[in-house]
Amino acid sequence: MIEVKNVTKKYANITAVNNISFSVNDGEIIGFLGPNGAGKTTTMNMITGFIEPTEGQIIVNGYDILKKSKKAKKQIGYMPEGVPLYTELTVKEFINYMAELKLLKGEEKKKSVEKTIEETGLSDVKNKLIRNLSRGYKQRTSLAGALVGNPDVIILDEPTVGLDPKQITEIRSLIKELGKNHTVILSSHILSEVSQICERVIIINNGKIVAIDTPENLEKKTKEKNTLIVTVEDPKGNMESLKEKVEEIEEIKLLKNNEDNTKQYAITSNNQVDLRKILFEVLPKEEITIFELKKNEATLEEAFIKLIDSNDDEPQIIEEKSKEDKKKENKEKKQKEKEEKRKNKENKKEKGGKK
Amino acid sequence: MLAVFKKELKSYFLSPIGYIAIGTFLVVFSLIFYLTTISIGSYDMGNLYFNTARYGLLIIIPLISMRMFAEERKTGTEQLLLTSPRSIVGIVLGKFLAAATLVLIILAFSLVYFIILCFFSKPNLVPTLVAIFGFLLMAMAAISAGMFISSITENQIVAAILTIVLVFLPELTGMFPSINLMNSYQKFPAGLISATEVVSLLAYMVMFILFTIIIMQRRKSVK
Repeated sequence: MIEVKNVTKKYANITAVNNISFSVNDGEIIGFLGPNGAGKTTTMNMITGFIEPTEGQIIVNGYDILKKSKKAKKQIGYMPEGVPLYTELTVKEFINYMAELKLLKGEEKKKSVEKTIEETGLSDVKNKLIRNLSRGYKQRTSLAGALVGNPDVIILDEPTVGLDPKQITEIRSLIKELGKNHTVILSSHILSEVSQICERVIIINNGKIVAIDTPENLEKKTKEKNTLIVTVEDPKGNMESLKEKVEEIEEIKLLKNNEDNTKQYAITSNNQVDLRKILFEVLPKEEITIFELKKNEATLEEAFIKLIDSNDDEPQIIEEKSKEDKKKENKEKKQKEKEEKRKNKENKKEKGGKK
Repeated sequence: MLAVFKKELKSYFLSPIGYIAIGTFLVVFSLIFYLTTISIGSYDMGNLYFNTARYGLLIIIPLISMRMFAEERKTGTEQLLLTSPRSIVGIVLGKFLAAATLVLIILAFSLVYFIILCFFSKPNLVPTLVAIFGFLLMAMAAISAGMFISSITENQIVAAILTIVLVFLPELTGMFPSINLMNSYQKFPAGLISATEVVSLLAYMVMFILFTIIIMQRRKSVK
């Protein structure tokens, strides 16, 4: 159980984390989600006792991280951002050192080290120097350092950054496995990861919590309208007049003309009505053939961007920004937009290709 | 403390630092051994340690102390240390004692020269051991200052240069005699243990160890 109460962290004139409160229950996997520089790492560093909050209190399993730091820190396994490792040691030596730092001794230490090496799949490389390992193994070694000694609370800062897809799925399933009998906090800016692994998501932006909810609820909340995507063959052009015939339809929008003479439409109704049944009944009568009909689900991605954007409208969070910072931000924003556009294009291409 | 101590001492020998420190010491020591002992037919080991302290430590101490905290801060492994349940006092002392042990190992090598002298004459063992003891104390004092500087920067080169400035500039230039460590290594080479020298070296050492502990504890709220 982790309780974060009204925690604020200020640097000279920047508020990195602004009065956040939340709690994580035992055995829960919770995800920190936010753009770069949102305050994820700062929050995690405060929970682990690496930095001190300017205001507020953090309690880990009943121990205040500042007042009873030894007991509180004993409950925590931390995998910091950027995978810091003692590269001159071998994997086993490193894990052994981490176990010693966590006050394990003798037989207990030995067993814990062996077990952790097994769990994280490091048996093959345990006698290799960390310096010579690949990125994936380094990541696992760092994870092993966090897991050794079987702490109740495991905090992972971007655990899958820089891994190949296979390694990512492996690490994810390992984290899921851990979530069965540990409290896990992980941070990520990859949304699909968070929605797959975590039971709850904390979305954080500009040092403030924007939303705390399950991934499913977040998707639902941001979905205002019920939109269907239909691909039809419509030789007589009856689609245009459909709106008058079916009163539940709020809007029909032509998305694109496909090469095979089919057309793709977006049909919107208000939230309560499911149009699918109606469409299947009505369209054949109008001599329209349905090729494809699918629900346009709001993804967590959309939820995320929506929440972040709405939060951006409140600029008072970062108190005094120098002009340079602002310029930098604008640049970053523009770049992000560009990237998004590019991604969208690629996605469209991919979809087109599949058909 | 013991865990940090063991790992740190091991790290000195897993990286080239330990070997370079031993090698450098032996080169300087041999050179001075030749100049002040063999070539003029003297068997005064105290003089040998005095001159080595004066010129050899200049290279060895920054080499040993520069990485102590700066490297951890740069690579981020500091986070592993500071989020562990170990106390900051234990971590600092562990690192300090590991560095001191390295100096002790280096000094053990210097006994070889005593044995060499034994072939030619009868040098006194006890004054030599006193000189070594004083040398160790002075090296530890210098290391504590180097450790403190290493804890305030993440750049090892900067740490090394600042250490030279703080510890060796007073002797090289004759300025600030009150913080000149060599002033407290005058009677040891003659085989005398003077309370003044022991106390001033210990005070210097304790002061910088405390400074380091304070810096590391402050890091939490400043960072």
